[in-house]
Amino acid sequence: MKKFLFVVLALMLTLSVFAAGDKEAAAAGPQKITIWAWDPNFNIAIMEEAKARYQAINPDVQFEIVDMAKADVEQKLLINLSSGVTDGLPDIVLIEDYNAEKYLSSYPDSFADLSSSFDYSQFAPYKVKLMTVGGKTYGVPFDTGVAGTYYRKDILEAAGFRASDMENITWDRFIEIGEAVFAKTGVSMCAFDPTDGGLVRVMLHSAGSWYFDKNGKPFLAGNPVMEAAVATYAKLINSPGTMKTSGWAEWVGAINSGKAATISTGVWITGSVKAEATQSGKWALAPIPRLNVPGAVNASNLGGSSWYVLNSSKAKATAIDFLKQIYAKDNDFYQKILVDRGAVGSFLPSQGGSAYMVADPFFGGQKVFQNFSAYMQKIPSVEFGSYTYEADSAIASVLPSIYAGGSVADALKAAQAQLENAIK
Amino acid sequence: MKTIRQSGLVRHHSTAGFHRSTGWMFVSFALILVGVFSIYPVISSFLLSFQTGRGAVYHFNGLGNIQRLLKDTVFLQALKNTFVYFIFQVPIMIILALTIASVLNNPKLKFRGFFRIAIFLPCVTSLVAYSVLFKSMFALDGLVNRMLLAINVVAEPIPWLLDPFWAKVLIIIALTWRWTGYNMMFYLSAMQNISPSYYEAARIDGANAFQQFRYITVPLLKPVILFTSVMSTIGTLQLFDESMNITGGGPANATITISHYIYNVLFRFTPNFGYAATISYVIVFLVAILAFVQFKLTGDDHAA
Repeated sequence: MKKFLFVVLALMLTLSVFAAGDKEAAAAGPQKITIWAWDPNFNIAIMEEAKARYQAINPDVQFEIVDMAKADVEQKLLINLSSGVTDGLPDIVLIEDYNAEKYLSSYPDSFADLSSSFDYSQFAPYKVKLMTVGGKTYGVPFDTGVAGTYYRKDILEAAGFRASDMENITWDRFIEIGEAVFAKTGVSMCAFDPTDGGLVRVMLHSAGSWYFDKNGKPFLAGNPVMEAAVATYAKLINSPGTMKTSGWAEWVGAINSGKAATISTGVWITGSVKAEATQSGKWALAPIPRLNVPGAVNASNLGGSSWYVLNSSKAKATAIDFLKQIYAKDNDFYQKILVDRGAVGSFLPSQGGSAYMVADPFFGGQKVFQNFSAYMQKIPSVEFGSYTYEADSAIASVLPSIYAGGSVADALKAAQAQLENAIK
Repeated sequence: MKTIRQSGLVRHHSTAGFHRSTGWMFVSFALILVGVFSIYPVISSFLLSFQTGRGAVYHFNGLGNIQRLLKDTVFLQALKNTFVYFIFQVPIMIILALTIASVLNNPKLKFRGFFRIAIFLPCVTSLVAYSVLFKSMFALDGLVNRMLLAINVVAEPIPWLLDPFWAKVLIIIALTWRWTGYNMMFYLSAMQNISPSYYEAARIDGANAFQQFRYITVPLLKPVILFTSVMSTIGTLQLFDESMNITGGGPANATITISHYIYNVLFRFTPNFGYAATISYVIVFLVAILAFVQFKLTGDDHAA
């Protein structure tokens, strides 16, 4: 009997230690919304703005906006969802678009189905498509990664090129211009990290193709757009007009220091381009070059993210209402985040707003956000599928052999085999 | 008579039981913790390694994960990289650590304390902090390339982070920088246990410094050298921070380690806990083999 008592006592002691942690979470009332996001200068700051606006409508609601590194948000979310314990989960979470389907299909029923809560025709169609799984739409589209080519007018003019030479061109023409610019001015046309395949994704998306076919099967080998994209990327990397960099800091440093004359990527780079105030007035914006394949357009996307509501949320209705009132209604909010944070939202009615009409002296008076808004509506819709990063890794592992002049078809076959094995 | 004896027996038994249960009570805290946090995860992950799926949806897969492993080019590349690291890095580091230790063991050397601390210091720095520092130092226009260019060792900057070969070299340099001092400390303390009379006798016999090192120091340090080389090898098998932070596993998976690949399978790719568990059991398996080799070799040493 005594022995039994001891064991029970010991067990109770140990368990009480474990249980102590949970009490605080349970005490939270239903009118508190916890949000996870990752960039204090961007999505966190924007959520703070949204919070202030919603509290003006509904003062009873409290917010807890948690700032973590992006990798931490993803890891915490994965661990919580995988363990099946929902206590630690937030009410709203920001998820990168490339990862959206991975979460939605790997953790069925974990996210709230918002199909009937929002009028999705008011959002950029390509954003809505990537958060729709099995006919149900789950997220609230947030920022877009609409792509553009930012270029230094002064350097291109010194080499004899005008603004019209940058409009509506192919990547092959871009490489030609780059070589001429480099030969005449000694400034590199562009900077790229050869280990990073981000531009391959931009090229694929601009031609309405992706790493996977319509049934979600890997479509690297035998995909003509894929072949054109990696071959063009390899040509670009090997071009004398291209400067090779490693990592984000060197890449952005190349344009800020004036070593490279253009940067082709998502609209979120605007802040980094404008970081070098001495180059004010020298920059301009053009559409992104297109691939030389049928159906390719001069518009694409890189990155971007959206808000998702968790089904386990105790304040689910309030959280949905919050997103609806601000992100699907408040035009003025979108003007403010564009001016303050450079965030191009994907809520279409907001793009007729005053902030989109502003002529930016940094870009020589060009209305860049109006341009971006126009590019955005041309972005083809593709389905990213669950395995963007697996495919990215497979492509990155064969890129060096393509740079070295190896067969594109063979390299893609190897990448396809690796990808098929990775998603078993 | 019978009853007395019986009751005596019973009382004796109950005190023993009391002592035993008191003992168990003291041990129970540790046992429960070990059970919950160590034994249960080991068993559970072993069972998990026979399942596959993604996210929260799993099904039994038998030996499917192992079949997949054998065809997984990234895994094989990671395994190869890990072996390259320890085949090249461990001997370089151990020879360097031995040499530095024997230099620093010289009683005539000035500022010995300073040098010892300076060489030991890298291994108390944070793994992430030093990795980030190395990444910036070895960037294309980083400190190291600028220095090499300035003293005309190279004509153009070395693509440390962009070339598969140089990226491996960089990881080996980084590992050597961080762990040489740590191993040196083992050798230094072992050297101080060698009686000076051996060296005195050797000098009288006319042995030079290298001969003393080769025939006295190294044989007497053999168990420590074995210990450090096995520990380093196991450390290499679990290598993660450097691959993750300096090169990101790239270029083209040229520097990815097994642990880094496990991380990718779990957090970068669509999470497959079953497959990740299978890969981690490969590490367990390799470490077990190495530990066995260690016991074998040190055991022989004691017998001799």
